Amino acid sequence: MAIVRDGRFQLLDSACSLIAILFVLFAGVELCDAATVVDVYRLIQYDLAGVPFGSRLASLNHHAGSSLYSPNADLTRTVIIFPIRELDVSVVKDYIVQRQLLGGLLFLLPRLFTSKGIKKDDDHQSEKDVMRKKLVQLEQLLVHANIPYPVYFAFEDENVEAVLADVKRNDATGQPATATTGGYKLVVSTAEPKKVVSPTITNIQGWLPGFKVDGDSNQLPTIAIVASYDTFGAAPALSVGSDSNGSGVVAVLEIARLFSLLYSNPKTRGRYNLLFGLTSGGPYNYNGTYKWLRSLDQRLRESVDYAICLNSIGSWDNELWIHVSKPPENSYIKQIFEGFSDVAGEMGFKVDLKHKKINISNPRVAWEHEQFSRLRITAVTLSELSAAPEFLENFGSIFDGRHFVRETAITRSVKLVAESLARHIYGHQGKNVQIFAENSSLAVNPSYVQSWLNLLSRTPRVAPFLQKSDPFISALKRELAEHTAEVNVQHEVLNGIFTFYDSTKATLNIYQVASVTFDLLLLLVLGSYLIVLFSFLVITTRGLDDLISLFRRPPSRKVKAA
Amino acid sequence: MTMFHFFNCAILTFGPHAVYYSATPLSEYDTIGTSVKAAVVYLGTALVKLVFLAAFLNVSENESFDPYQELLKALIGFIDVAGIYFALTQLTHRNISQNHKFQAVGLGWAFADSVLHKLAPLWVGARGLEFTWDYILQGLEANANLVLSISLAALGSLMWLRKNKPRTLIPIIYLCAWIVATMPSITSYLRRGLGWHLPKVVGFELFTSLVMAFISWQLFAACQRPSV
Repeated sequence: MAIVRDGRFQLLDSACSLIAILFVLFAGVELCDAATVVDVYRLIQYDLAGVPFGSRLASLNHHAGSSLYSPNADLTRTVIIFPIRELDVSVVKDYIVQRQLLGGLLFLLPRLFTSKGIKKDDDHQSEKDVMRKKLVQLEQLLVHANIPYPVYFAFEDENVEAVLADVKRNDATGQPATATTGGYKLVVSTAEPKKVVSPTITNIQGWLPGFKVDGDSNQLPTIAIVASYDTFGAAPALSVGSDSNGSGVVAVLEIARLFSLLYSNPKTRGRYNLLFGLTSGGPYNYNGTYKWLRSLDQRLRESVDYAICLNSIGSWDNELWIHVSKPPENSYIKQIFEGFSDVAGEMGFKVDLKHKKINISNPRVAWEHEQFSRLRITAVTLSELSAAPEFLENFGSIFDGRHFVRETAITRSVKLVAESLARHIYGHQGKNVQIFAENSSLAVNPSYVQSWLNLLSRTPRVAPFLQKSDPFISALKRELAEHTAEVNVQHEVLNGIFTFYDSTKATLNIYQVASVTFDLLLLLVLGSYLIVLFSFLVITTRGLDDLISLFRRPPSRKVKAA
Repeated sequence: MTMFHFFNCAILTFGPHAVYYSATPLSEYDTIGTSVKAAVVYLGTALVKLVFLAAFLNVSENESFDPYQELLKALIGFIDVAGIYFALTQLTHRNISQNHKFQAVGLGWAFADSVLHKLAPLWVGARGLEFTWDYILQGLEANANLVLSISLAALGSLMWLRKNKPRTLIPIIYLCAWIVATMPSITSYLRRGLGWHLPKVVGFELFTSLVMAFISWQLFAACQRPSV
């Protein structure tokens, strides 16, 4: 602030001062003068069938600490700062499981996760993996616990690191920060989190009709290509899910684009209808898929030959999995699998089949294709994951950002799906025909994949916080409309057993505060200074007037001094 | 702690003025009217200076030290001297000895300056949660400023009101008055030209103010002697 630091006689300042007086005194403006201001992202807060989970508070006003084991600190009034780099998850786990109170938790995400901090070398690979494992553990722990204090995530930067270093030094000297010793105060002033009223999920469907010789095109068989686009993560505002399931969404869009090229020409228009689905509610047992399928026209639903669901296909090396819920001996499954593994073999990688039975009585739906299978539609999920994820797991964790996804993996997946689909549609099974050959006009377009992947990696997509009119949803809709003949958007209410709370993002002010003892001492020093000054002035000035009478009038001075 | 800290800083900034008034004979002779008049003159001077600064000075975007601009600023700073001259000589002071008159004028002057320059930042800043040493230093600066203002008023009263002063002392008086009047420019130079930090600058101000006060006092006493 210029007013504070500039000279006494700088008259420009006096004008500022006057204006400031007017504003501050009469309008009561509070000016922000924190040492550091950090964007923080709150841990998700939700109820599952009335049972509370996640962080139950949002506002924060406590001193900073760096360890859970400070001997004489009042932890209920301390915010513990944990850098993920140095975090031991089991310590936090113990603390949370024992349900001990804390002022709050602040996790510092390494710069690795920010878009700027990334480096393109492999030295960081092992470090990344360690961090990734830790973060997954931590997120699962936090998401499934009921934590009665605010929990925030923030990215490391110089300022926060400096604060943390100070706090650590302070803790090391055995003088943890409380109201009497000073230190740093972390303040997040935000309103009490409110319930998100009737969260909606939005499914987007694109329809690419096949070539009808005679009669209605509805009688042609249909192939569905589906991906769920929304995410769920410990920090909803950071849950971009580049791999899960941004990669699937990109693949669906690119496949739609490729087939729209083929289908725009009557000569290459296949005798299959293509149905593209971008479904929401994925983390919640594919609630959106469930609702979408039930809202589909009966005839259309029966015409679906099979559905291919795409899930997490952005960071694999040489093996993909086809997850099915019908026995592998099923002729449809066999046909799909053979189609895929042929193409995969030509492209130089492996596709494996994995069978997981559905338990109809269990509400848990681990894969999107299971929603199809429950309606007796043949469906498979193509994924890099070898086993089904747990509930609320693997849907856009914090680490699941742009830098952990490779475009090449996505383009190869797209090529695999598109090629095997095309062979099926045009009846080229078993022949080595490259329809989407590289450098042809029908090649997978890496820059298209990349730009959509970048957009998805910038957009947190936790369904309850994604409004119906969100620009992202309209962008998806527009893009699909570009490549298909007909686009339908379906808004549904999310399954009622989930309740979400808002304020996912906040601003953290870090203040360096002095202790009350310091101010008391200062008051003492100032008091004695004024008394000394008073005595000095009395002695000198009265002496100026009458040097001798000064020494003759000590009683009167005492009266005055008192 | 916020209000407490504000209170502390306010004591440091404005306390010495009150102590000076009550400890010295100023309170006995009820010279508050003179101080208030001086404060009003200060406000008028500040306005005039503001107009001059606005007319002649470019507002520099950066905090760099521009000698020409600073010279101009120093010249405009001398309007202060004119203001003090006006307050000392032109205002009618009710029955007040020269000794008390300059003290009252200096006190009123310094107090008006403190209120104008320090109160608003203090109110805005010191109540915040964030702790800095700035406001304590600023309070110390206000102390130095009080001493300097009274010194300047004393020298001014020597220059303009006292007729029978020793001839040898006159150049010294003028030199000292000049030094005191250019103090703002000197500190500004230290801060921007040499890049001193606030604690150092405030220390320098405190030191010089005490030195100048001592010199002025000696000069005043020297001039007083023949008449006593």
